Amino acid sequence: MIATNWQDRGPLTPFAPPRRRFSFGAAARRSWTSGEEAVIFARDFAASHQRPQPMQRESALKNFLLQFFTWWSGQTLGTRFYTWRNGEFVGEDEFGNKYYRTRGGRKDPALGIERRWVIYNGEAEASMTPPGWNGWLHHTVDVPPTQEDYKPREWQKPHRPNYTGTPKAYRPAGSTLASGRRPQATGDYQAWSPGS
Amino acid sequence: MAKLIVDGNEIEVPAEFTILQACEEAGAEVPRFCFHERLSIAGNCRMCLVEVKGSPKPVASCAMSVRDLRPGPNGEPPVVNTRTPLVKKAREGVMEFLLINHPLDCPICDQGGECDLQDQAMAYGVDSSRFAENKRAVEDKYIGPLVRTSMNRCIHCTRCVRFTTEVAGVPDLGAIGRGEDMEITTYLEHAMRSELQGNVIDLCPVGALTSKPYSFKARPWELAKTESIDVMDALGSAIRVDSRGREVMRFLPRVNEFINEEWISDKTRFVWDGLRTQRLDRPYVRENGRLRPASWNEAFATIASKVGATKSERIGAIVGDLAAVEETFALKLLMESLGVASIDCRQDGTRLDPTLGRATYVFNSTIAGIEDADAVLLVGTNPRKEAPVLNARIRKGWRQMRTPIGVIGENVDLTYDYAYLGAGPQTLADLAAGKGAFFEVLSKAERPLIIVGQGALTREDGLAVLATAAKLAKAVGAVGEGWNGFSVLHTAAARVGALDLGFTPKADGLDVAGMLAPGALDVLFLLGADEIDVPEGVFVVYQGTHGDRGAHRADVILPGAAYTEKSGIYVNTEGRPQLANRAVFPPGEAREDWAILRALSDVLGKRLPFDSLAALREQLFAAYPHLAAIGEIAPADPAALEALAGKGGALSEAPFASPIVDFYLTNPVARASAVMAECSALASGALKQAAE
Amino acid sequence: MLSDKDRIFTNLYGLHSPGLEAAKKRGAWDGTKFLLQQGRDWIIEEMKKSGLRGRGGAGFPTGLKWSFMPKQSDGRPHYLVVNADESEPGTCKDREIMRHDPHLLIEGCLIASFAMGAHAAYIYIRGEYIAEREALQRAVDEAYEARLIGKNNIHDYPFDLYVHHGAGAYICGEETALLESLEGKKGMPRLKPPFPANMGLYGCPTTVNNVESIAVAGTILRRGASWFASLGRPNNAGTKLFCISGHVNKPCNVEEEMGITFRELIDRHCGGIRGGWDNLLAVIPGGSSVPCVPAEQIIDCPMDFDSLRNLKSGLGTAAVIVMDKSTDIVRAIARLSYFYKHESCGQCTPCREGTGWMWRVLSRMAEGRAHKREIDMLLDVTHQVEGHTICALGDAAAWPVQGLIRHFRHEIEKRIDEYAANPHSDAVLQAAE
Repeated sequence: MIATNWQDRGPLTPFAPPRRRFSFGAAARRSWTSGEEAVIFARDFAASHQRPQPMQRESALKNFLLQFFTWWSGQTLGTRFYTWRNGEFVGEDEFGNKYYRTRGGRKDPALGIERRWVIYNGEAEASMTPPGWNGWLHHTVDVPPTQEDYKPREWQKPHRPNYTGTPKAYRPAGSTLASGRRPQATGDYQAWSPGS
Repeated sequence: MAKLIVDGNEIEVPAEFTILQACEEAGAEVPRFCFHERLSIAGNCRMCLVEVKGSPKPVASCAMSVRDLRPGPNGEPPVVNTRTPLVKKAREGVMEFLLINHPLDCPICDQGGECDLQDQAMAYGVDSSRFAENKRAVEDKYIGPLVRTSMNRCIHCTRCVRFTTEVAGVPDLGAIGRGEDMEITTYLEHAMRSELQGNVIDLCPVGALTSKPYSFKARPWELAKTESIDVMDALGSAIRVDSRGREVMRFLPRVNEFINEEWISDKTRFVWDGLRTQRLDRPYVRENGRLRPASWNEAFATIASKVGATKSERIGAIVGDLAAVEETFALKLLMESLGVASIDCRQDGTRLDPTLGRATYVFNSTIAGIEDADAVLLVGTNPRKEAPVLNARIRKGWRQMRTPIGVIGENVDLTYDYAYLGAGPQTLADLAAGKGAFFEVLSKAERPLIIVGQGALTREDGLAVLATAAKLAKAVGAVGEGWNGFSVLHTAAARVGALDLGFTPKADGLDVAGMLAPGALDVLFLLGADEIDVPEGVFVVYQGTHGDRGAHRADVILPGAAYTEKSGIYVNTEGRPQLANRAVFPPGEAREDWAILRALSDVLGKRLPFDSLAALREQLFAAYPHLAAIGEIAPADPAALEALAGKGGALSEAPFASPIVDFYLTNPVARASAVMAECSALASGALKQAAE
Repeated sequence: MLSDKDRIFTNLYGLHSPGLEAAKKRGAWDGTKFLLQQGRDWIIEEMKKSGLRGRGGAGFPTGLKWSFMPKQSDGRPHYLVVNADESEPGTCKDREIMRHDPHLLIEGCLIASFAMGAHAAYIYIRGEYIAEREALQRAVDEAYEARLIGKNNIHDYPFDLYVHHGAGAYICGEETALLESLEGKKGMPRLKPPFPANMGLYGCPTTVNNVESIAVAGTILRRGASWFASLGRPNNAGTKLFCISGHVNKPCNVEEEMGITFRELIDRHCGGIRGGWDNLLAVIPGGSSVPCVPAEQIIDCPMDFDSLRNLKSGLGTAAVIVMDKSTDIVRAIARLSYFYKHESCGQCTPCREGTGWMWRVLSRMAEGRAHKREIDMLLDVTHQVEGHTICALGDAAAWPVQGLIRHFRHEIEKRIDEYAANPHSDAVLQAAE
C-alpha cells in the first residue's frame, strides 16, 4: 500500500515525469505585470502543466497567440515585426536558434554598431546559445561560426538545460537522493553466507 | 591524619592526601584536566588552583599534599578555600588560556557531549573570548589505526604521555617542541605499539585523541548504555556497551578495582565492528554438500533424525571460548539426558582437570592480589598477549614496589624487567627442586606469586608441569594462611565457568583430542567452538554467532547470540562469576543460546526442565551455589594443591610457547572485525605505516 | 665607591692569567683547609652573618639556604649544583667569573659542598658558553692536578666537581628545570614542594646556587663576615657585579658596593648616559624579567634589592639595561615578550598560552594597531599569568609588560592614536619579529 501511495505522489518524487521549468512560476510572474485576463489565462495555463515542446508541431494559431501573450516563447510580436523590417538572417545553430543582424550591417543609431540578435527555438533560454554564436552575438568576433571552420575548445561545454526539479537535478554529495541507495541504518549487519 | 578547613568545614584526612583529594573529601568540587588518580601528578593544567590561607599565590591543589600545608601561627589547622573570588578569577583565567588556542569546533568534534573541556568551560569559564589573534594550528599526527588525532584541540595535559609511559609501559607517545609549539606525537609518527593504547582515548579530556573506528558514527547522548562484561580474554573486564537501536556502537571500560581498574585492552575496545559482520542470522542445513538456508524446524528435524539414528557413545559435544555458563549448563543437561559421555570444554587441549579441585585451575591470588605479591614467577605465559590488563597490573607492582619477576617460557618484551630463567619445563623442575637464585627470591618473599599460563598446560606433559608448579608453590610457601599464590591464567572467557560445571568427559568419554580423532564420532555438537578442525565423516551441529571455521564445517548451523546480545554469566580466570547484560538483540532469526538448546531438546524428546532464563538460573544456582554470588569469588580450597603437588609425570624438553599467536585474532568476533585485521597486519609488519 | 682592596673579583677583566698560580697570587685557595677545619656550622653561621643574598635574581639569603640541607645524611648523598646557565638577557657576570676567575668558583664549590655535606658538585653551564666551559674545565683540571679537589685531596675532604654543558635553553636556569636537565630529562620545572633541599638531583638533597653566590664564599670566609656585612646597606650587604648595557657611553661589567645610586654607578663607570642625563628614558635594573623604571624614579635610587622593590621593580641579576629617549620602549618590551614566548617550556597552561598572547598583542601595540581597551585587557592577562604557573618564568614574562603599562601607558595610547588617525600609511614602526 505504501508503495503505491508513494508513486501516486508522483510530481514530488524524483521518478515523476520531468516538469518544465517555470511551469507555474513564470506564468504567475507574468500575472503581476499584465492585466486581468492574462491572470486568468496564466492560471489555466499553469493548471494544464503543458508547455510548448520545441520539436512539437504547434498549430499556427497557438503560436500566434503565444507571441501575443508570452515573452518567453521564441519571439514576441514586436520582435517578429522588427526582424521582418530590419533583420538579415545570418545562421542557425544546432538547437535551431536563429541569428539575425541589422540588414546589410547597418549601424544601429542607438549602438553605433550593427545590432545582432537571436530568436530562440522555443523557450527563450539565454544560456542556450553555443559558445561560438555567443562570441558573435557579443561582437567578440565578426565572422559567425557557420561562415568559418569553428570548433569549440574542450573547455567550452555544450549547453545543458537547467535540470532543477527533474531527476537529473544536481544533488550534493551525501544527499540521500544522490546515490539512490538507502544510507546505512542502525541495526544493519552483514550476514554470513556459506559461499560455495 | 591531618586536620584542615576546606570552605569552612573542618575535616580530617590522611596526611598524604593531596589538597584536591581533601577538597573532594570535604565535598568541594575542584576542576582538573591533567590530574588523574591512576597516573603520576603533572600539575601543569593549573585548573585546580585553590586558595591557601597564608600563601600569596593560588596553589595547584593536585600537586600539593596536605602534609606540606603550614598550620596557622597559633597552630590552627590550615585553611583552604575553593570558592573565593581569587579562585574564581584564577580558574577563569586558566580556562581562557586553555580556550584561546582550542578550536571552537565542538559541533564536528567526536568528544562533544563527553568533553571535560566543554563541561568545565560551562561551569568555570567566562562567556566570551578576548583573544583577537590567530589561533594556533597544529598538524594532525598518525599514531596508529585505532586513535585518531586532531592536535589543534590538544591542551597539553600529557595524560596520554603519562599513561603510555607509566601504565602501558610502551612509551611511544611524547611531547616535542616547547612553549606554544609543543606537540604530542609518536617518534616520526610511528603507530603506537601498546595493546592498551585505546585507553588514551578515554584519558584525553578533549577531542584531540578520539577513536578512529568510531569517529563520526554517533553522539554520546543518543547511545543506550548497558553495563556488561568483556569476553575477549579471561579477565572479564568491566565494560559499558554503547548501542544505538540494534547496533553496538562502541565499548568503554567501567571501573572495577578488582579486575581492570579502568583500563581495557584494544581487542576489547575495538572489536565491535566484528559484531556486525559475518553474522549467522538464520539456520542452515547442508544438502548435497552445500549449505542452504532453512527454517528452525527443518534444522531441528535434521538434527533429531541424525541423533535418533546414532548411539550415544558416537555423539560428542564441545563448548567454545565465548559461551556463557547458562548455555553450557543447558548443553550439559541435554547431553546427560542423551547419555553422552564425550563432552569437553578444553578446545586448546589444556590439561586442567576440575576433578583435581577448583584451586588447581583458577587464579587463586586474585588479580588485585598481584599488587600485594612481592615476587612473581611467570610460567609458560605471555600476559602481554594473553591478558594485557593483567600485565599492566604486574607492571604496576613492578613500578611501585620493584617486585622481582622471573619468567620461564618465551623471552619477550613484557614492558617490565624480569629475570629470564629458562625456556622449558626443565627449568621449572630445577626451580622446584630448590636450584637457582630465583628460588631464594621466591622463598624469601612473603607472598610469592606463581602464574601458570596455558602455554605450559596445553601440551602432552601439561599435567606434570602443573604438578611441578604446585610443588614449587608448596616449596616456596606460596600457599598459606591468607595467601594463595598459585594462579592459573586462562585465555578463554568460557573456560573457568565450564570447568566449574564439570563440562569434561565423563567416565569412558572422549576428550577433545579423542573426539577429533578420525572415525571416533558420528555426531558432534559445537557450541561456538571454532579453534578446532573436525575430521571428515562427522555430522557437525554448529551453534554460534559468526561464519567462522565451525560454521564452514557444519552440517547444521543454529544461529546464536553474541555476548552483547544475551544475558549470561561468565566466570573469569579468578573464578569470579560476573553477569553480562543484553545491550542489543541478536540479528535475524538468531536466538539466545539457552533457548535454542531448550527448543532442540523438545524436538529430541528430552525436554529440558526450564522454560525461562530465570528458571534455568534457579536450577543452575541450586546445582552450583557459588555462581549465585555475582561478582564475588568463592575461595578455592588450597588442599587440592597439596594433592596436585604429589602427582608426578614425565616432563618433556620442549620449550613453552604462548598459545596466542596473534593477539588481535583470537576468537570468531575478532576475526570478523576489519579493525582487528588491520591491527594484526600492522603488528605483524604486513601493513606499511601510513605515516608520510 | 668600592675601593680596590675590597674587590673580590680582582681579575674580572682578564688582565691577569686565570690559571691556578696567578689565582693563588690573587688570594684564591689561601687557607682553605683552615676554613674547612672550622666546621660546617661555623661556615654556615658566617655566611648567615655576612648577609649575602643570592646573586641569581631572587635574593634569597645564601647562608639560610645552605642551612636547609639536612644536617645528617639519611643515606642519600647530598649535592651542590651551581647554576651557571646564565641566560637572562642583559646579564653577563657569571661568564666573566668563569673565564677569568674560575678558581674562586671552584674553591667556593668545595667550601659550600663541605658546608652542606656534599661530596659531589655539578656546574651546569649554559649551552652557548663554549669558551667559558673550556676555561672552567681547564681550571677544574688544574685543581684536580694540584689535588685541591678530588678523591684524595689536600683538604682531606673527598670532593668531585663536574662541569655539565647545557643545550641552551633559558628555562634550564630555573633551579628545578636545571635539575631535570642535569638528570637527562626535558628541561621542565618540577612542582614544589618537595623542594630541592629535600628532593633534588636524583631525589637527593640538593642546593642550587648561582655562580656569583658560590664564588664569593671563599673571600667572605677569609676576610670575615663582618667585612662583607660592613659593605653596602643593611639587609643588602656586600659587593655585587653590575652588568651595565644599553645607551651609556661605556657599557661595562663592574663590581660595586650594593646600594650605590644609579647616578653614581653610571657616572663613575660608564661615562654617563648617551646624550646626557636628560636623555634617559627608562632603565631595566635587573635583567629582562623585572619591570622597567622610568628615568625620574631611578636616577637617584640606590641599587639594591629593597630599594628597587619599593619601585615595584627588582635588582634581579643586577643587569642594568639603560634606554635613552631614542628607544621605542613598546617595541623593546615586545621583543622581550617574544623572548619569553620563545623560551616558555610549554608545561603549564598560563605561561604556554599567555606568553604568546602577550607577545602578539604587544607587537600590535608597537605598531599602534590595537584598541585602547586592549591595554587593560593585556594588563589583566599578565595578572592571570603571574603567580599561576609552576615556575617563575610566567612571572618573569608578565612583569616587564606590567612595568611598561604602569609607566608608559601614554606612549601606547599615543601610538594607537597615531595609527588610528592614519591607518593607511606604512606602519609607524615595524613589529618586533
